[in-house]
Amino acid sequence: MKKTLTILLVVCLVLTTLFVGCKKSDSATKSATEAKAATKIGFVVINDESDQGYTWNFMNGMTAAVDKLKAEGYNLELLVKRNTTESSIAKDNNVELAEEGCAIIFNNSYGFEPYMLEAAAEYPNVKFVGMTNCGGQVDENPNTYNAFASIYEGRYLAGVVAGMKLNQLLAEGKIKAPVVGYVGAYSFAEVISGMSGYFLGIRSVCPQATMKVYFVGTWGDATLEEAAAKALIDAGCVMISQHSDTTSPALAAQKAGVFHTGYNTDMTTAAPDASIISCRINWEPYFYTFIKNYIDGKENPADYTGTIADGAVALTSLNEKIAAPGTSAKLAEVEADIKSGKIKVFDLDNFTIGGKVGTNDVMYDGFAAVKGNATYDGVFHESEFQSAPYFVGQIDGIEWLNAAY
Amino acid sequence: MKEVKTPLIRLAKRADIDKRKAWAIRIGSILVALILGMIPILMAGENPFVSYMIIIQGSLGKAGYIRQTVKRAIPLLGVALAIAPCFKMRFWNIGAEGQITMGAIFASFIAIKLGPSGLPLVVMAILMCIAGALGGAFWGFVPGFFKARYNTNETLFTLMMNYIAIGIVRYLQGGPWEGRPGTQIIPMFTSNARLPNVLGVYCGWIIVLVMVVIVHIYMNYTKQGFEVAVIGDSENTARYAGMNVGWIMMRTMLFSGAICGVVGWMLVSGANGTLNSDVAGGVGFTAITVAWLSQLNSFAMIAIAMLLAIIGKGSATLQTRLNIPASVADIISGTLLFCMLACEFFINYKLIFRHKKEAEV
Repeated sequence: MKKTLTILLVVCLVLTTLFVGCKKSDSATKSATEAKAATKIGFVVINDESDQGYTWNFMNGMTAAVDKLKAEGYNLELLVKRNTTESSIAKDNNVELAEEGCAIIFNNSYGFEPYMLEAAAEYPNVKFVGMTNCGGQVDENPNTYNAFASIYEGRYLAGVVAGMKLNQLLAEGKIKAPVVGYVGAYSFAEVISGMSGYFLGIRSVCPQATMKVYFVGTWGDATLEEAAAKALIDAGCVMISQHSDTTSPALAAQKAGVFHTGYNTDMTTAAPDASIISCRINWEPYFYTFIKNYIDGKENPADYTGTIADGAVALTSLNEKIAAPGTSAKLAEVEADIKSGKIKVFDLDNFTIGGKVGTNDVMYDGFAAVKGNATYDGVFHESEFQSAPYFVGQIDGIEWLNAAY
Repeated sequence: MKEVKTPLIRLAKRADIDKRKAWAIRIGSILVALILGMIPILMAGENPFVSYMIIIQGSLGKAGYIRQTVKRAIPLLGVALAIAPCFKMRFWNIGAEGQITMGAIFASFIAIKLGPSGLPLVVMAILMCIAGALGGAFWGFVPGFFKARYNTNETLFTLMMNYIAIGIVRYLQGGPWEGRPGTQIIPMFTSNARLPNVLGVYCGWIIVLVMVVIVHIYMNYTKQGFEVAVIGDSENTARYAGMNVGWIMMRTMLFSGAICGVVGWMLVSGANGTLNSDVAGGVGFTAITVAWLSQLNSFAMIAIAMLLAIIGKGSATLQTRLNIPASVADIISGTLLFCMLACEFFINYKLIFRHKKEAEV
């Protein structure tokens, strides 16, 4: 007994002395930050950065915004709860961050919101932001917010790039029919709005293009996404795009010798001979503005839609090696036209639904938190009533191979 | 010749151990665990002493933290109580996860179908509780029946049943009970299907404390509890004494499943507010540790469930404050549990080294 005890104590001592150094430096930095009382920013995220897509993109935006604000002299501390599930864990994590003294807590997944709203009711002095969601702006708590971006504009631009490539392939006689394949996650507004924007972008330069969509029924599953991409390629698709989280559709395209445009992240490193461009949401401006406004004592909007004009909708760098000649110039031109309002993505003249001009009833998502008539002046006004997408029209020319809710 | 054959270390069952020694081993094992736990913290580049302080502070340091800790302890305690009778009769029910989930499904059915009709909260709570108990009992009864009838392996059986129950929730989440299509989310229950808070934590904590007493009485002062204990010691003895072993197994599984189902109800109605496939969230497995560490003593389970909740909540805070991976926190709590379980081994067995008559641990 004594012997064991002695050994225990000795091990204890050794460990303590060994790491006294790190303890000192640790407490030194801690007391320094505490002296200035940093504003704590909480971030509840699904997955973690290793997904190289969804949360990775969010975290990049957040760290960039925090670094920028720090450089401007704002004293911030970022607390992150990773791998949060869309369950009461989401509430626990929000509560924990609130208890830790966070002034603002951002949530990056749609399914967190109901739990976030419960936490928000318990902590009225903390600001809660449900990103990609729409409930916070309509509930009775003044401390809840929503944000998303008009990513359909980015999709449209990616579509222009894809369309130009299809034109080139047609002109060179390498393909017979410009058929595009789209790997979607779920058949609901966010995905439908994005794929429709993409298709209309393609159509704007390659009017005879058609598109097949396959829904995989998950946000991220490399195997399923790859299988879907392969099935689409087998069905004659020569251009693949995706609204799903992994790079496996890009890899499938590369393997089969067809082309690809991506989402969330630059996929050209994964598939250098296939992936031409990706569009993504750049969250940095939103995080930056929201935090800055808060600390400066200014109000933030209950709902915010990032646009191409304010840099929230962005494209990754064009893969010049495989892009059709003249793509850069065309891209710049279309981007300028979207910014100026000359091009409206959901211009009713550019598409039909069931052979007819789209009506609000068939295009507006009945599940959106904010309802209204977005169809006026010959345009469907996406992301104006609420930031979360609500276009659910089934455009002619897009063939749904399945539906996955 | 003899020398060669004797292994370096032999094990021998301890005839009896005095209480002081037993406690010394227990405390020693916690110390060992704390020292081993330092390794992952050091590897993450943090100070272990600060980290341990954060674990305590983050779970008990503020009223808000204590509420969160208690919230974690509720299902752990409830399920430990549920599986105790099974383990007592050496029926290895590792299907609590599925029984919780099934109870949650049944309770959710009531919430979703009857909630909007505006029934009063008390009526809803009673109906949901009964439904939950029925769901859990049903899911527990199936492996109990097959074990009693065909002597199937209950460990595998109950384990597989977990996946089926979770699969059913996934189906409901993406199908008939889904709110907005594509979200895979069942909408929050109406307020009459939500358990109210008492002292800031949903009132499930009162229910589990009542269950502690009930299970204690059931196990120690009833004929049924006695039968369970006899089967646990020797099935043949039980048979010889004229007990219907098969029926007792099924009955115990019904009882155990029903309690799990009630926990499932409390989770959907109290903690979550709706049903999702994470509803059990591993509680069914962690509770096995709780039951085992407390040696199936209901009252000891309160302390052990709280201890595990403290480690769990404290680790979450540790992860937030030091920005270390959650897995480090998991390794620490895993190490602690492992050492605590292992120490029971050293309480029951002693090591005998070669050339020595006896050696202490």
